Amino acid sequence: MTNLQIVIKEIKNLKPIPAVVTSLLEIIDDPNASMNEITKIIQYDPAITADLLRTANSAYFGLKRPAETIQEAAMMLGTDHVVDLVMLKVSAQVAKGTQKGYDLHEGALWKYSVSSALIAKQVAVQLDLPNKNSIFSASLLKDIGKTVLDKFIRDAFEKISNLVINENFSFMEAEKQIIGVDHAELGAMIAKMWKFSPRMVGIIRNHHLSSETMVRDKDLAVVYLSDCICMMMGMGVGADGLAYRFHPQAMDHIGISAEDTLKIIADFACRMDEVEMLLKLA
Amino acid sequence: MEHIVGIADMKVSNRTGDTIVTYSLGSCVGLAIYDPQAGVGGILHYILPNSAIDEIKAKSNPFMFADTGIPELFKQVYALGAEKSRIKVFVAGGAEIMEQEGIFNIGRQNYSALMQILTKNNVSIWKQAVGGYSNRTVEMEIASGKIYLKTSGLGEVQL
Repeated sequence: MTNLQIVIKEIKNLKPIPAVVTSLLEIIDDPNASMNEITKIIQYDPAITADLLRTANSAYFGLKRPAETIQEAAMMLGTDHVVDLVMLKVSAQVAKGTQKGYDLHEGALWKYSVSSALIAKQVAVQLDLPNKNSIFSASLLKDIGKTVLDKFIRDAFEKISNLVINENFSFMEAEKQIIGVDHAELGAMIAKMWKFSPRMVGIIRNHHLSSETMVRDKDLAVVYLSDCICMMMGMGVGADGLAYRFHPQAMDHIGISAEDTLKIIADFACRMDEVEMLLKLA
Repeated sequence: MEHIVGIADMKVSNRTGDTIVTYSLGSCVGLAIYDPQAGVGGILHYILPNSAIDEIKAKSNPFMFADTGIPELFKQVYALGAEKSRIKVFVAGGAEIMEQEGIFNIGRQNYSALMQILTKNNVSIWKQAVGGYSNRTVEMEIASGKIYLKTSGLGEVQL
């Protein structure tokens, strides 16, 4: 078996993602979807429903009276918030562990995923983009490929590192060269296996903007920007370091200047407590 | 006791049993200073070069910016008995994403801001590990002033 075949075999061993996620992703940014439609989808999953109600009724949200149903929780917290919580809980299950190959300690990938999702949503709201919920979810799940590629990175690390240091490869380009697949491509395969929409698969596949034409996609540019900001803040950065390519055209295209970037970083630094709280809740 | 310096944070100490550590400096800068005679040290982890972009935030958290955090770090180690002439300065961080040029290169701006302040105040750097694409972690032992640097993918060294 080639390296690639072994990696692909690995993704088939992943636990399936709860069906509620795929259904939610289809309608979370549909302006015609009602709160009822969304809460009905969540209710189909009793484990997530129970877990979500427990969280909604935790001291953090300080509800005046406990929410007994998902509808009540959505009414009190807002549908968007409830959807975000579902996505957080599900992504926690896949991203929480340690990724030794990437030199990421327990919870580092997870904290980074949550941080990058919060930044992406904040920027999407600031830019008034219609797909802010999908942007949040895509940011949260974009590095799912790393969880599987991780065990191949350790053996390949010396060769990957050599290409980065001596041949000007990005870490991801070197993954592809040495292992035969990179973490974004692998993430897209997983997303496809989980029956995510082609749009979501595309964002995960291209979240490092490997071609110039992609910078014109605003949703993708926001996911990319939030990833760059996290890297600069040292979040989710392990053995790969910051060895990914920077595309200022993406910022230009969404109208985010260098000064805006500094402000987004400053704003986010003030939200670290919120991140810690969300990590505990999920 | 181990003191962890978070993002936009600072810790100083003169207790011999203490260590101070700051994890995962990407483009941020970790400034570690130590006076061996007084046995006083501190680490600042700032994220941005200049407080002019948000002076309100700088007031509530001076450790976010180079121009407000660096003076505060020196002030607090002086308060514990350190003296400027004896202080050893170690700098880590200021990394960049590949091809992150010009005004978007926050790592380089963070480092330049530090150099301007140190030069103006006649303070020189003892050792540094800055720039490149690496993520770094810095730890200081207060009793000995020993500094440990961990670089992503390369492991840890004592300086």
